Amino acid sequence: MKIVGVAACTVGIAHTYIAQEKLESAGKKAGHEISIETQGTIGIENELSSEQIEEADIIILATDVKVSGKERFEGKRTIQVSTEVAMKSPNKLIKKAEEVVTQQS
Amino acid sequence: MEITEILNDHTIVTNMNFKDKHDALCGLSQLLLENEYITNVESFLADVYAREKVGQTGIGNYIAIPHGKSDFVNEIGVAIGINNSEISWETMDGKGVRGIILFAVGNDNEGAKNHLKLLSLFARKLGNDEVIDKLLKSVKTEDVKDAFAN
Repeated sequence: MKIVGVAACTVGIAHTYIAQEKLESAGKKAGHEISIETQGTIGIENELSSEQIEEADIIILATDVKVSGKERFEGKRTIQVSTEVAMKSPNKLIKKAEEVVTQQS
Repeated sequence: MEITEILNDHTIVTNMNFKDKHDALCGLSQLLLENEYITNVESFLADVYAREKVGQTGIGNYIAIPHGKSDFVNEIGVAIGINNSEISWETMDGKGVRGIILFAVGNDNEGAKNHLKLLSLFARKLGNDEVIDKLLKSVKTEDVKDAFAN
């Protein structure tokens, strides 16, 4: 499965990057291709390409603030959670993503 | 660019006996002041507490990452305290906290892109369970730095 997503927290210093790390390692551990863009104080990093978004089976938005460029994900299956959920239960979140994809395909 | 460049031997303490959250925040802020990362403890702490109100900074696994963007920050930096006993904190897993990582970031970060980048890479490490295990076992400053190396 191909997963892409965005992590963004209120201050953009810590939670954003921890959520990214947790999600990417949980996704890889479950055997998926996963890439999480971060929108923090430093700006956008690991920016998703339109190709990556196009190919993704599902989008995970782990955000506490408005996502910049949200329109990029229009029409895609999307799971929206807080950064806290992504940090606390990354494996559960990946499992949820798997369920959503299998149910709807 | 090494992640450990963001760390400073003088702002890392181990075997501490902070008695509660406020004690830990004051102690670590004092280190940031002494090493000229911040200009005023009280004002900096007010910004840190403002962030505490927004949501939990206890990220689970006995780690807390209090932080604030503050006008009273001179230079981007981190203070780390490893406490001997658990102190109570608002955490995502309901447990207490033994490792406290206090982030100091200014409101104006023009010209600080390098440091911000390092700080983001450093934060990312905190999402890695192995790093956290090593960090909590640290008995001296060098152990803390080792936990974040490579």
